[in-house]
Amino acid sequence: MNLNTQFVFDSKLKRNLMIGMALGAACLVWSAIGDDEYRTRFWTNYLHNAVFFTGIAFTATFFLSAQITAFGGWMTAVKRIWEAMGQFMIVGLVLLLLIVAGVWGHLHHLYHWNVAGITDPENPLYDKIIAGKSGFLSPVFFTIGTLGFLAIWYFWAYKMRQNSMQQDDHETAALAYYKKERKWAATFLPLGGFLSTVFFWQLIMSIDPHWYSTMFAWYSTISVLLAGLALMIMLILYLQSKGYLEYVTRDHLHDLGKYLFGISVFWTYLWFDQFMLIWYANIGEETIYFKERMDHYPVLFWGNLVLNFITPFLVLMRNDTKRKAGTLFFACLIVFFGHWWDFFYMIKPGARIAAHESMEISEGKHNNQHDAAPIGAAPATATGGHESHDQATHAVAAATADHSGGDHGHADHHDDALSGFKLGYTIPGIQELGVLVGFLSLFLFFFFRQLERASLLPMRDPFLEESLHHSTGAYIDGEGDGHEH
Amino acid sequence: MAAASKKVLYGLYNDEEDLKSAVKSARKSHLDIMDVLTPFPVHGLDPILGLSESRLHILGFIYGAIGATFGFGFMSWALARDWPTMFGGKPYWPVPSFIPITFEMTVLFAAWGMTITFYTICGMWPGAQATILDNRITDDKFCIAFDVTNSEEKDVSGLQAFFSKTGAAEVNLKTI
Repeated sequence: MNLNTQFVFDSKLKRNLMIGMALGAACLVWSAIGDDEYRTRFWTNYLHNAVFFTGIAFTATFFLSAQITAFGGWMTAVKRIWEAMGQFMIVGLVLLLLIVAGVWGHLHHLYHWNVAGITDPENPLYDKIIAGKSGFLSPVFFTIGTLGFLAIWYFWAYKMRQNSMQQDDHETAALAYYKKERKWAATFLPLGGFLSTVFFWQLIMSIDPHWYSTMFAWYSTISVLLAGLALMIMLILYLQSKGYLEYVTRDHLHDLGKYLFGISVFWTYLWFDQFMLIWYANIGEETIYFKERMDHYPVLFWGNLVLNFITPFLVLMRNDTKRKAGTLFFACLIVFFGHWWDFFYMIKPGARIAAHESMEISEGKHNNQHDAAPIGAAPATATGGHESHDQATHAVAAATADHSGGDHGHADHHDDALSGFKLGYTIPGIQELGVLVGFLSLFLFFFFRQLERASLLPMRDPFLEESLHHSTGAYIDGEGDGHEH
Repeated sequence: MAAASKKVLYGLYNDEEDLKSAVKSARKSHLDIMDVLTPFPVHGLDPILGLSESRLHILGFIYGAIGATFGFGFMSWALARDWPTMFGGKPYWPVPSFIPITFEMTVLFAAWGMTITFYTICGMWPGAQATILDNRITDDKFCIAFDVTNSEEKDVSGLQAFFSKTGAAEVNLKTI
């Protein structure tokens, strides 16, 4: 065999990615200077993309581990791509360091639970619900749950990568390396599965600190898994267009496309479960999350379903669309952007409320009814209430199912200030797209650097032959050429 | 069996790779294969045989669409129109709570519809007698069968030569 297995990261590609990164940095600065003093648009953009791409790196390692543990031989021809993607976690560690530093130094107002004095019963800002969660929602545990867990994952990803690369150099001991890789992969599965729940609770769900959903960790992890899968397929098609990976056949792409299709439906299942259970139970403190989003962010809410369910479902349902580079690339592009959109939807509305509450606190008119509203009782006292609210309206607000949400006792005021369209929150603006390009360039730059460090084909992997002869058994009319094995 | 009986010449191969190369050479010399029988699905056999893609899944989509429409329509009619009922303070027409059942009806109709269609096409209705060329094709033998009912002696001996050339373990003639 005379295969082109050494990726060369040429200077033109490097330059383009550098330009992309510069554009992203410029947009990040732009979103900071055009904003109010809290710079919430900057911080949410940063958090959004840092978590999104770190999550992609994590799920790449997770998916690879699942394949190795399940004796998945078919993917050996493309596993170097997953390995290289997983290494981005070290960059994610550095990126998230800024968010964690911001929590300790109160640099940003992303997390309402981080407001000084909110867990102190003597303080007028005291919030019973957040105080009850303070063991979990505290800077110390936040640091452990994000940076600490990420460091553990990175260690595993690094070890698996190192082991796989060492396997290339040894002609005789390939099987021993494979056995070692299985051990790393199998132990990563519980680590990734359990720790990822906390990772996403801490970073994203705690933006709405009164709300919780038991589906959330699944939902957000699957979201980045799909984004990573879509990105990986796009990268395979890109590398093939550059003359690499000629041994990756339509059958490999077909199977990856099936994963994309199937997991998209699984994502929809999780989305629907989270929505339907909350909708049906109609508990105020849970429903407020969706009411807020459906009333004030309808484009985000419905666009999420169109991008992430309807499009991949209809495009990828036929098996020939999964076998053609054009349609597959199109579907992957939609899904990748769709899950970026999904994270936007998870972060922005909640962060806007958190920043608004911080603003109210600093202006001394924060109306603290958090402990009264969720249980539906009329508030006993209205500490520091603003003028438009007397106790009677509060009692009415609390009794009306629509407005008894735990997050906001001050429904009317809240509607006035937060219901309007705001670019960068209600839909992504130019800055947001620029930041996406920037972070994507950073990710790809690091990815290609990792990819050129090793052969694209793991030559000593015992499953290599199986992978090179992989066939899905599907046969499409008019596709006959080169199909006979 | 009242239907006209068929004379079938079939060869048995020991290995699926032998079978695949035999099918290839048969197609090259334009022999009219009646059927190929294997104990398990052999990957890559369909394109070699020149079979076109199955259209069963198109029917599956139609059956599924019927099931979805039926399930959703019936629940909507029953709960919102014929006998409006309110559950748990939800609207008369609570669409989200219909989705799981609509999904189940889609799956049920698609699965039953496709199964019944497939069995009907294959002649596998209840009480049908299966015609089996050789019991070993469900065990470890790979079979190529030719219909020789109307063939001349010359053609049959040509097929015999084909079998011996492509390495068939044995060749039999059977009337079914």
